[in-house]
Amino acid sequence: MRLGRYDVTLEPRTTRPAFYSSLTAAGAILLALALASVLFLSAQTPLLEAYRAIFSYAFFNPNGLLATIHRSIYLLLCTYAFLVPLRAGLWNIGLPGQVYAGGVAAFAIPFVFRTQEAQTLSLPPVLLILLMVASAAAAGAVVGGFAGILRARFQVSEILVTMMLNSILFWLVAYMIKEGGPFMSPRGEGESFALPPALHAPLLWGVPFTAVLALGAAVFLDILFAKTPLGYRIRAFGQSPAAARYGGIIPLALSLLVFLLGGGFAGLAGYHYFAALPGVYKISGNYGYYGDLSFYGIISALIARGSSLGAVPIAVLFAGLSLGARFAQGELRLPFGVDYALLGLLMMTFVASHVLYQFRVAWRRVPSLALRHAPTQLPPG
Amino acid sequence: MWELLARSLEASTIFLFAALGELINQRAGVLNVGLEGLMLFGGTTAFITAQATGSYPLGFVAGLAIGGLLGLAHGFFSITLRGDQVVSGMGLWILSFGLTTYLGNPHTGPLGLGRIASFFGLSPFFVLGVALVGITWFLLFRTTQGLAIRSVGENPAAAEGSGISVTAVRYVCVLCGGVLAGLSGAAYTLSYNPVWNYNFLMGWGFVSLALVFFSMWNPWILLAGASLFGIMWQLSLSPELVLPGVLSRYVWRMVPFAITIPILSVISTPWFRRRWGLARPEALGRPYEKS
Repeated sequence: MRLGRYDVTLEPRTTRPAFYSSLTAAGAILLALALASVLFLSAQTPLLEAYRAIFSYAFFNPNGLLATIHRSIYLLLCTYAFLVPLRAGLWNIGLPGQVYAGGVAAFAIPFVFRTQEAQTLSLPPVLLILLMVASAAAAGAVVGGFAGILRARFQVSEILVTMMLNSILFWLVAYMIKEGGPFMSPRGEGESFALPPALHAPLLWGVPFTAVLALGAAVFLDILFAKTPLGYRIRAFGQSPAAARYGGIIPLALSLLVFLLGGGFAGLAGYHYFAALPGVYKISGNYGYYGDLSFYGIISALIARGSSLGAVPIAVLFAGLSLGARFAQGELRLPFGVDYALLGLLMMTFVASHVLYQFRVAWRRVPSLALRHAPTQLPPG
Repeated sequence: MWELLARSLEASTIFLFAALGELINQRAGVLNVGLEGLMLFGGTTAFITAQATGSYPLGFVAGLAIGGLLGLAHGFFSITLRGDQVVSGMGLWILSFGLTTYLGNPHTGPLGLGRIASFFGLSPFFVLGVALVGITWFLLFRTTQGLAIRSVGENPAAAEGSGISVTAVRYVCVLCGGVLAGLSGAAYTLSYNPVWNYNFLMGWGFVSLALVFFSMWNPWILLAGASLFGIMWQLSLSPELVLPGVLSRYVWRMVPFAITIPILSVISTPWFRRRWGLARPEALGRPYEKS
């Protein structure tokens, strides 16, 4: 493209230093926040007050801070669920479905052992809690692995399959908890039975133990991708499946593995939200909202460019933003859905930053001689 | 029975419009997985405009325009910038999902205008849909322009060599695809179910995307597939008409999605591909770099 005396082209970047990844990530997030001002202005809300309300509730209010921590754990687990397949070049957008599967499987344990009404437990509570965690992770992994195996075996688009599974599991949860479904609460309010207090997830300093899982997984995944042969295979497969096959990497096993692992994390996220959060301990009627929230996990994995440690601050920030936006919405009488709008804006600025990450804008001055018209006629005389 | 059938055909029109647009896109080699987002945005804009102005035509114009704009945005990213088409498509989908939830929320509820007239219960959009299928088929397989579109989707370098501008053809196709997706969303919110609700599509766009793969990129098979899915969808909404009292209604809602997965798997098998699936555009999803 010609702009005045300059020739402007987009050229692929040959090197992408780490600081540049952080720079584009920060740029994308700041730009999304700036664009969100348009929403506040159109609702005739003072800008500074809106941002102050969001951040002060999310990070400086004791209740808000605790809620932010709880939500960060959830978003982090969702982030890993998307991140692991992404490193292999696959898109796991089945996070909501895998989260629902995890929630249902966790509640299936007390249901099967008949502990939801009677206070007498047939097994020690610690064992039951471990079983709940394991079954949630396994259910998420099975749902994810199903998409993975179809992708690997038949080249079925994993995007379509995981999306179909989202809808299927959404209605499965509705069936389980509504209109006389097996998990319906005895009071019948369109939500599941509440977990007996003995099965509440143990708290460490007021935070469920899932926090340890979420932070430990960040370190584990970072080491997996940076230092182990398996991580290398996943990355190689993500960069070029054809080249990876020549290198002796089996696509079937690898696609299945990343989806099993990813689905397992999403299942744990389901366990965390429905069975480990103080004050919840049930599958609530608005479970669909938590499914939607899991899309923040997609964006934080994308913005972190597949780095699990890098995703930690991003997920915490998104947790705070989505909570604070809900709070500010009530406080300042904004229209519903600021958190959804922010989700959309973040995705848009990510795509824009992705272009700048992959390409650099090259400005080249066109030699001035080339611009000057050569005389076509001899001057008179 | 006729009412149910007419309603099913109206539902299938929603699938048909969106899938037809995507088919044109894909024939030119551009994959847009954010179809659902285009439909959501088109539907929401059409709904808000029609409600504000009280005019159906203005609503449709707004829906079509926003669909076209988003289609062009996808085109800019995938054609001009040669970015990853899945990233851009997913981006459009989540962007639309988030923004329409925010923008449409104050309008939650019925449209509040008189229903669009129908011929003996059959929606005029179904007739339009069949006509569009015929036009698309004729255009793609019987005209020079159609040959240009198909060649751009198969082998852009060869097409460029024979004097076709790959960029121009692809832009026209993403524009058509976007407009049709906008039309599909607008037909949903203005005619099929004129009540705005958060995330009202609940996966229709992704089913439409799957339908394009089922159709083996042939408009007539697409019409048959969309009709079948429309009937199945309508039955899953009111199963009591066929099997009263069998299973919960929530279980029936899973059926259309559950059927999609095995069909997708079968058409993706090597056997099926060798036998039938040769129509898949060779350059689908691959950016073209002029050398």
